Amino acid sequence: MSVREILLYPDRRLKQIAAPAQAGEIDAIATDLVDTMSSLGHCVGIAAPQLGLMSRVVAVDVSSHPKAATSSGLLVLANPRITEREGSEVGREGCLSLPDVTANVRRAARVVVEHAAGLVECEGFEARCVLHELDHLDGILFLDRVESLTEDVFRRRNYASGGEAQSRSPEGVPRDSNSPGSAASEPERTG
Amino acid sequence: MSEFSVTAIGRDRPGIVAAVSEVLLEAGGNIEDSRMAILRGHFAVMLIVDLPGEASSEGLASALESVRERLGLEAVSVSPVETLDAEDAAPSHVLTVYGADRPGIVHGVAALLAERGVNITDLETRVTGAADPVYVMVIELALRGLPGDELESELGRVADELEVDVSLRPLEAEAL
Repeated sequence: MSVREILLYPDRRLKQIAAPAQAGEIDAIATDLVDTMSSLGHCVGIAAPQLGLMSRVVAVDVSSHPKAATSSGLLVLANPRITEREGSEVGREGCLSLPDVTANVRRAARVVVEHAAGLVECEGFEARCVLHELDHLDGILFLDRVESLTEDVFRRRNYASGGEAQSRSPEGVPRDSNSPGSAASEPERTG
Repeated sequence: MSEFSVTAIGRDRPGIVAAVSEVLLEAGGNIEDSRMAILRGHFAVMLIVDLPGEASSEGLASALESVRERLGLEAVSVSPVETLDAEDAAPSHVLTVYGADRPGIVHGVAALLAERGVNITDLETRVTGAADPVYVMVIELALRGLPGDELESELGRVADELEVDVSLRPLEAEAL
């Protein structure tokens, strides 16, 4: 059992970009991730940097979560790369590294991810979790992707046109059409 | 019709909105825009109310003063305000700022925005309850012609000085 401690923001490692995972280290890191995730009751995802391991590996398991309509079971993704993304939804997220904070975040509704052991397609809640964890590998926290302050109900009529995404994240926010996002009533404790 | 701003703050408890709105209703008022929220255990009320005829703020203030006393509110304030165009300023971007809590974060960011003529349309801050508190600020803003990448690089400089992390993103346009 290698349960490790989860780093809490403002630990600077949470804002750093993780290095490509080397073949020889993946198994050990995966074990740490899975053991730590299992030891925490409602954790559906965790990224190596959250354990202070600056390597591009994440674990996600939404199989027993009521919000997950589809699930691929336990996913361990090393050197993941998003090859397709489609749609968009807003949902409420939290993070073990930022306790007591939740926010509305827009994520793609469906993604295809290429990784060391193959390819996986995820949608809905599982896609959200995968995207949240992948962001950790680039030092991006869910607060960097807050959708907007005011709830969808009181959206202002016309947002002035934006131009390119200006955040410091390497990937922009998905710019697909705005499906009426159901802001989840409970925050998801993704890693 | 004449418009008044009403603000109130008091230790949170059920009944504050009911009491304030009752006073306004009895005065023949119509609550227009409002924002009310709990801030650190205190319920804060901000609203614009439209009152008939030549309503005076003195009458309203004294009615609200009884509410203040009855509910033990810390403060209530009434002011006549000019009737303005209801069209909301449209924000173009959302800015998130977060970091270890310390004085100076709000001012540091707001001063830069003011200097560059950027208008804040909505702002919220929270301190997390953790052992090492984290300060989170989310601001909706209207850049009004200032290029986003220019603002982003200046924000980066302020962020380094304040030891916080920032993220500036354009707000998505509505899809019809």
